[in-house]
Amino acid sequence: QNVTLRFHQMLPPQATIPSKAIKPWAEKVEKESGGRIKVQQFNAMALGGKPPELFDQAKDGVVDIIWTVLGYTPGRFPKAEVFELPFLVGDPVAGSKAFQEYVEKNAMDEFKDVKLIAVHVHGPGLIHSKDPVTKLEDLKGMKVRGGSRVINIMLEQLGATPIGMPVPAVGEALSKGVISATTIPWEVVPAVKVQQIVKNHTGFTGSKGLYTQTFAVAMNKASYDKLPADLKKVIDANSGQIAAAMFGQAMADGDKAGLGLAQKGGNNVITLDAAETQRWQRTAAGVRAVWYKEVGDKGIDGPKLAAEAEALIAKYSK
Amino acid sequence: MTHPVYAISRAMAWFGAFVLVLLAAMSVISIAGRALSGLGLGPVPGDFELVEAGTALAVFSFLPWAHLKRGHAVVDLMWRVYPAPMRRMLDILADALMFALWVLLVWRMGVAMLDYRDNGEVTFILQFPVWWGYAASMVPATLGCVVYGWRLLETLGLITPPSGFESAEVVH
Amino acid sequence: MDPLTLAAWSFPALLLLIFLRIPIGLAMLAVGLFGSWQVYGSAAPLLNQMKNLAYGQFSTHSLSIVPLFLLMGQFATLGGMSQALFKAAEAFIGHRRGGVGMAAIGACAGFGSICGSSLATAATMGQVALPELKRAGYSGALSSGLLAAGGTLGILIPPSIVLVIYAILAEQNIAKMFAAAFVPGILAALGYMLVINLYVRFSPQSAGQIEPMPWAERWRALAAVWPVLLIFGVVIGGIYTGIFTPTEGAAVGAVATGVLAWQRGGLKGSKLREAFESTASGTAMVFLIVLGAAAYNSFLALSQLPQELAMWVGDQGFSPYQVLWAILIFYLIAGCVMDSLSMILLTIPIFFPMISGLDFGLTPEETAIWFGVLVLIVVEVGLITPPVGMNLFVIQSMAPDIKIRDAYRGVLPFVASDLLRVAVLVAVPAITLFVVRLNP
Ligand code: NA
Ligand code: NA
Repeated sequence: QNVTLRFHQMLPPQATIPSKAIKPWAEKVEKESGGRIKVQQFNAMALGGKPPELFDQAKDGVVDIIWTVLGYTPGRFPKAEVFELPFLVGDPVAGSKAFQEYVEKNAMDEFKDVKLIAVHVHGPGLIHSKDPVTKLEDLKGMKVRGGSRVINIMLEQLGATPIGMPVPAVGEALSKGVISATTIPWEVVPAVKVQQIVKNHTGFTGSKGLYTQTFAVAMNKASYDKLPADLKKVIDANSGQIAAAMFGQAMADGDKAGLGLAQKGGNNVITLDAAETQRWQRTAAGVRAVWYKEVGDKGIDGPKLAAEAEALIAKYSK
Repeated sequence: MTHPVYAISRAMAWFGAFVLVLLAAMSVISIAGRALSGLGLGPVPGDFELVEAGTALAVFSFLPWAHLKRGHAVVDLMWRVYPAPMRRMLDILADALMFALWVLLVWRMGVAMLDYRDNGEVTFILQFPVWWGYAASMVPATLGCVVYGWRLLETLGLITPPSGFESAEVVH
Repeated sequence: MDPLTLAAWSFPALLLLIFLRIPIGLAMLAVGLFGSWQVYGSAAPLLNQMKNLAYGQFSTHSLSIVPLFLLMGQFATLGGMSQALFKAAEAFIGHRRGGVGMAAIGACAGFGSICGSSLATAATMGQVALPELKRAGYSGALSSGLLAAGGTLGILIPPSIVLVIYAILAEQNIAKMFAAAFVPGILAALGYMLVINLYVRFSPQSAGQIEPMPWAERWRALAAVWPVLLIFGVVIGGIYTGIFTPTEGAAVGAVATGVLAWQRGGLKGSKLREAFESTASGTAMVFLIVLGAAAYNSFLALSQLPQELAMWVGDQGFSPYQVLWAILIFYLIAGCVMDSLSMILLTIPIFFPMISGLDFGLTPEETAIWFGVLVLIVVEVGLITPPVGMNLFVIQSMAPDIKIRDAYRGVLPFVASDLLRVAVLVAVPAITLFVVRLNP
């Protein structure tokens, strides 16, 4: 029995995830199935709908598999959201493995409507700005694009004016002064040509990034259940930790490439020293309080989940 | 024009345009706030998502009136060649198709609304529940079902339309 | 039926429905939904896809620019801008040979700079200029031809709804598309004026002249159009320099023209209601097509026809220019009977991957922008080519004494100037791209 699986996601085909993670993943699945599974990749929302609808497309069987940003559907994944807290995640491979284990232990109810292939995170988020950001005060009043709900709360706490916009709009907005800084990981930098538009990049001492976003690869339940036992095994063998690490690794490689480009261009790559980093961490800690309260209202024990996430990240970072 | 179906459709069209005017005004305020962010002002929070939900509301409010006015794009190159009974059948087909597909779409939209209500998804900045946007648009969308059904009955000859609307002439 | 065959058959099915005068958007919606249902093999996935279909499309942020530009055009009319533009142009060149006609073209270009729709430009300028042309002794053929052609400046000169839709489909930057379309739009206006000049030379009985106006009156007429310049400068300048997004620019334009119309007493009672109703009809027309195209394009993507077709074209070893010309000629032919927006929405998902796979010696972004402007022009030609030329119908509906046959005859020289312009822009991409290259 031969099966075709439609894999739908929002990025253009040349971006890191579709070219360096989904494509190899699909090829691996096809090969291990002896050619009986065929994965059709649909990029850039070719099958219709908007990015926030991707998760439901997998849940409802509009497509078979999707890759999505969990932060695009605020409110749907409150337990998984803990990984978006500031200064929590660093290395994307360790972070993705920790996130995978965390979700399997604590948040599977949020993914109960799909067959979860894997979850992962991106590398350390940092600030890319027109004017150099060398201390917390430099952020005051600065118009900064943030990528998710939690990040926007954080930017506000740090004294910036958060402005929400999708990634493709960032380059234009930066070059025209609609925003004067953006938060993204190094991996996204080349795609938006950020290293050409702004020359200052502010990171932090230690392994932790300012923030990260969370992602999921999910399969429609019925599409999975329909598979014969041996093909189910192929999917299983490419789910969980293996897949999480693979997607995390693609992010890590992308980070290296982005940083390399900025360095080659002679850009000003700032690393805030330990004392200044601590000041940022203390200020951003206010986000945790806000987040704890929000999820607390939904009956979720925020501090416990955050502690668990930190323990897992420590475990995989060794 | 005192016919309730027509009067309501027309009033909805005005309402939709009024929503557009509000959206435009809000965008201008937002731009001004962003430009003056040095003075402690800022963009209207969530302007992006308000424009999205507002445009949907406006478009749903516009559709019934456009349908009654025969305002949709058609190619009537061959129309004069077709014999009268065929023209009548085609008019019925077009109106029946519009009615049937619209009922289907609105039914599914209602299902989506309930899904969003249950799964707790909220918008990015204002964090208002996504299903609110659906609920607002459901009102004109549902009225659309009534209007398309009414128009179908007229085309079938079961109801007489008010004067000025009896022919299916293209306005475009 | 396998998905590819099904997709191939969907074209004739769609055309059949359209020729049976089923509204174009509705026909696309029906065929698209039916096709997806067949490819899925069951109704459940389709029914789930439909959950977000209408609301998702109607709440697309970049599309909100469409009703805002339509509203802006309506307010500009209520503010008397079309009248003022025509008067100003006429004051300066009306006494020359073909001058009143050229003034109408100039006014169309001016109105096009604050209106995103071709039909609205044709309708508005037709209302203003038709009586004046008649009084100056212009033949029905020439006046309807020049006004129909002038109406296309509504989409050729930015802002332009068709260009917005193209930019969204091809994932291009709307501001850059507007910038690129500007010079070709001005060339179009100059070309139409040249056509009028030649037309009157060869057929002097088709047009008369008016008395020269005193200079004081000329300056007064010119002074009345400064708001147009200001609004165009703020909207297009603001979008191009990035002070605001295109959608915000449209909002600024709508508010500015609204204030202008209010200040000039144009927003009274029934006038305002009519403007609102026109905005409603125009918006609904566009969004029904957008909705239908979304359903139809999902079906096409599902069938993988666009990818297969792009690959096939790549394998044939056609030269890039052969493919480009084939596409442009396809649009010219289809434009004889099809509506511009439907053509773009229907075909860009198929043609764009083909074109982006070809090497014209330009960067991928430049290729996309250049192709977009060329497509804009050829679909716009469809608005004035017989037998279905929407602008011709608009003009004719306002002047029933002009025979449609005369209108067809009168517009042909303008079509010729369009074709010439396309050839020049294909041969020299820099004409389109240099503004974009100024500000990378
Ligand atoms: Na225009
Ligand atoms: Na035509």
